[in-house]
Amino acid sequence: MNRTIERHRHIIDFALSSLLRRKGKNLSLLAVYVLIVFMIGSVMFFIQALKREAALILQGAPDMVVQRLVAGRQDLIPVGYGDKIGAIRGVSGVRPRLWGYYYDPAVGANYTLMAADGDRQAPGTAVIGSGVAATRRLAQGDFLTLRDYSGEPVLLEVAGIMPYASDLVAADLIVMAESDLRALFNLPGGSATDLAVAVRNPRELATIAAKIARQFPDTRPILKSEILRTYDSIFDWRGGMVVVLLAVAVLSFVIFAWDKATGLSAEERKEIGILKSIGWETGDVLLLKFWEGTVISLSAFLAGVILAYGHLFFFSAPLFEHALKGWAVIYPRFRLTPAIDAYQLAVLFVLTVVPYTVATIIPSWQAATVDPDAAMRS
Amino acid sequence: MIELVQVSKSFNAGKANQFTAVREVSLAIAPGRVTVLKGPSGSGKTTLLTLIGCMARPTSGRIVLRGIAPASFAGPDGTGEIEITSLPERFLTGIRRTTFGFIFQQFNLVRGITVLENVMLPAYPTGEAHGSVRRRAMELLELFNVGRHASAPVDRLSGGEAQRVAIARALINDPAIVIADEPTAHLDTGLSREFMEIAGSFKAAGKTILIASHDPIVFDSPLADAVVEMRDGRVTRGGSAP
Repeated sequence: MNRTIERHRHIIDFALSSLLRRKGKNLSLLAVYVLIVFMIGSVMFFIQALKREAALILQGAPDMVVQRLVAGRQDLIPVGYGDKIGAIRGVSGVRPRLWGYYYDPAVGANYTLMAADGDRQAPGTAVIGSGVAATRRLAQGDFLTLRDYSGEPVLLEVAGIMPYASDLVAADLIVMAESDLRALFNLPGGSATDLAVAVRNPRELATIAAKIARQFPDTRPILKSEILRTYDSIFDWRGGMVVVLLAVAVLSFVIFAWDKATGLSAEERKEIGILKSIGWETGDVLLLKFWEGTVISLSAFLAGVILAYGHLFFFSAPLFEHALKGWAVIYPRFRLTPAIDAYQLAVLFVLTVVPYTVATIIPSWQAATVDPDAAMRS
Repeated sequence: MIELVQVSKSFNAGKANQFTAVREVSLAIAPGRVTVLKGPSGSGKTTLLTLIGCMARPTSGRIVLRGIAPASFAGPDGTGEIEITSLPERFLTGIRRTTFGFIFQQFNLVRGITVLENVMLPAYPTGEAHGSVRRRAMELLELFNVGRHASAPVDRLSGGEAQRVAIARALINDPAIVIADEPTAHLDTGLSREFMEIAGSFKAAGKTILIASHDPIVFDSPLADAVVEMRDGRVTRGGSAP
């Protein structure tokens, strides 16, 4: 047992000194390797963190949203529908919601406008997301200018700016009094954008949705789980695009590693010949190459993961935010909550370490199986 | 005793460029003696050394080590006789590591690592404790008067120093047989004589020494107990059949 440990120790020692001897080659390989792990890791961790963030936010979302369709497109829904839906057995509450989008030609950005519940927002005032504040350079107490449906300017005093923590969903949000929103868009009274429905027993959701659809054929009930699925798809799609790009990078890396490994220099081949001629077995040489590869790949893996973690969770992913958070004038600025699990790390390990190991071990094995007398003839 | 019976070695067998480096050589090499293989370039000396040293297998014929290899490799009949030509690679490597020490014409030291590491290299796969290997390596380096270079990279050594390091490396596993291929090819007269003195000390220690050389300092040396002349892969003079 001791001899086996000593043998490994000797060979690891020699592997380390071999790596140091070829500093230039190994450092360049390590740098490319770290970069690949960093990029793939950043994308994977980012998508995971975003999904988790979205899921947390949607926890507070209504169980079901009911929209009205006219000619296949969403239209305003009469608030009276809510009273009838509220009477369906199993429904615990119905809340009409009033919201819309506003395009600001001055900065080319889209805002989400929302009416506050009840009288929580005084008429003539608004609470705005930090993205809106930054784009329009507004502070608390300033006036936000919008144009109403007829082109007339509407002034709203900024009563507050939402915190960065809520940026993922609130960067482009403007919350105002219901009367201001109706006046801005000329929305008729007694109508809402949609209805938020609360249900006592989540198992009855599908049944209640079917009842609503039967009772109001011009409506479309949307369940919370469907919203979650859509969010998942969006993040997966965006992440998927970057992953496709990264696959090209990974492929380049495999070719690079293969080239480096197959291109065993004449000196490296000679060295293998010397080792075999002085009594090293093929297995000993492979063990040496295995440890060399392990040192490189584990160092790169650890460094890449740590860099990706820092990039995402300490610096808010400046390299990827444009591709992954959305294409817009207003980008959400928020700090992601670290969400890394063993599964993700294992996937990252398989994606990065296995190709390198395969790329290095096979050519080394080919070189290690040469007859040791080659050294005598060199 | 090392016995070779009708040993031949061909390269590129079955191809247009096939050539036979060693032809039907039968030879008995006495233990504890200095045997010199003498002959011009291409006479088959180096190939014969690689066959005896378990670095390659003969195409035909038998090579037998009698009473030389460690007991762990000896046959079950207790005669201490091993026919190395029929052994699998793993055993062949084991015998090569424990029974033979090699001194190469080009020294074949691993560049970029220290003198001490080079000397210790053959012992790494044995799993012997690092401390004892290191101690023995230092003793050998001191013995050959290169101890002061122990922590220096081998690239900085002169030809004579590099060869003494190569000799120390050949002895690190305390082999019974030392094989040297053209050991004086890159040395001046003084260093060549010094090498023969070192070979004399091996002989005094009871080791079997096998040298391939076409240098008169080697084959005319009074230390040479047997000189076997080779040409075109055959033994033309000297040596006795088993």
